[in-house]
Amino acid sequence: MVHLSNETLSELLDGSPAPGVQEHLASCSVCQGELEVLRRMRTQLRDLPQLDPPPDLWSRIEERLPYGGERRRLGRPGRVALRVAAMAAVFVIGLALGQAFQRGESGDEGARPAAGVPLTVVDANEPASPASLADAMAEVRRLASEYDAALMNLQRMTQGRSAPGPSSLARQRLANLEALVEASRAALATDPADPVLNAYLFTAVAERDAMMSQLTSARGSGSGVVWR
Amino acid sequence: MFGNGQLRGHVTRLIEQERKGRKDLLVELTEASLVRRARSGELEAMRQLYELHASRVYTVVRRLAADDEMAADLAQDAWCNAFQKVRDFRGDAAFGTWVHRIAVNTALTRLRQRSRRRDLEQGFDGRTTLGNPDRQPASEAVERVTVQRALDLLPDGYRSVLWLHDVEGFTHEEIGARLGIAVGTSKSQLSKARARLRALVTESRTEVVDHGASQ
Repeated sequence: MVHLSNETLSELLDGSPAPGVQEHLASCSVCQGELEVLRRMRTQLRDLPQLDPPPDLWSRIEERLPYGGERRRLGRPGRVALRVAAMAAVFVIGLALGQAFQRGESGDEGARPAAGVPLTVVDANEPASPASLADAMAEVRRLASEYDAALMNLQRMTQGRSAPGPSSLARQRLANLEALVEASRAALATDPADPVLNAYLFTAVAERDAMMSQLTSARGSGSGVVWR
Repeated sequence: MFGNGQLRGHVTRLIEQERKGRKDLLVELTEASLVRRARSGELEAMRQLYELHASRVYTVVRRLAADDEMAADLAQDAWCNAFQKVRDFRGDAAFGTWVHRIAVNTALTRLRQRSRRRDLEQGFDGRTTLGNPDRQPASEAVERVTVQRALDLLPDGYRSVLWLHDVEGFTHEEIGARLGIAVGTSKSQLSKARARLRALVTESRTEVVDHGASQ
């Protein structure tokens, strides 16, 4: 008996055999065995383990990246005035966020906005490129002020469905904080030394990190997120 | 910015994911944040993205290159390319998928350069050193090592087509476009690669059995 060629077995493995091949396969245990070997080898290839890169690979990559100074420039304003401004902003925005989420958690009907309140959040993939510093600062402030409205509208929308649970709101809050961080960064790219913008960035980053920490610990303990 | 409809879609997705009990949403959000920071030039964000996907990227270039030193070079090039282009990353796919694609393209470009310098078949002499007298055949671990080492012994062209098709899930059209070969050539290379791999694995097992019997 003439057995199937490698090419034909390969086509069979990929599910596209030529006419008449299946008939031969049904009556030939040798070709059935060959096909099974090929199938098992393919499975073994797919099951090969992931490999660890060399330990020094990141340092080699880092040497070729031209970004070393950026983090310091954005992350360390290094001025007392900025810290004071940041603390003030933390207080103001934190208070607003806390109120928004207290309303969200308690399901306070009276706190809901009217239907049709416009919702806008920053698209993660849309590069923010403010035309001027004034535009950038306006964008940051607009985001902060719309944050409340977005959260309440989110609450209104989700109450129409079967209760999403606090973690959905937590995630939305996280996404909105990310938007605020991004807008602050875009504004800072225009004027890295601006104290108000630095304060916004500090605030948003601190809130975001706290939020992520809460989410992580809530997942670990299996409990819900406790709003600050 | 996106409007009401898009936000509702986003929220719906979040809720559905919550219901399905997805555990990786936080990772997605974190990754999206890291990508944005990397686009701003933050080195720490780049390092964290690297940590998240280093293994995946290194694995694919190592499988394609079959050489540790070359794989490290390729991974380095792939990551540097990715971070240089990160401003162009639009988020149509996950960052991991995007950087993985860059890694594949980087590896294939290098392999094509290498193949110009030597015939695809060169380096394969039909003999192997796969057998290891210290090991017993047939265990799952031994089979895995055997297949892994046999893969390394395939010619570049065979190994690339085999890995891209059978593991990465590329079509022959995609492989043809990336390797600069015809679709028919890709199919032919695939069947030959499978047959060669099978022969190498079989030979290896025979050697192991022979060594075991002679002890």
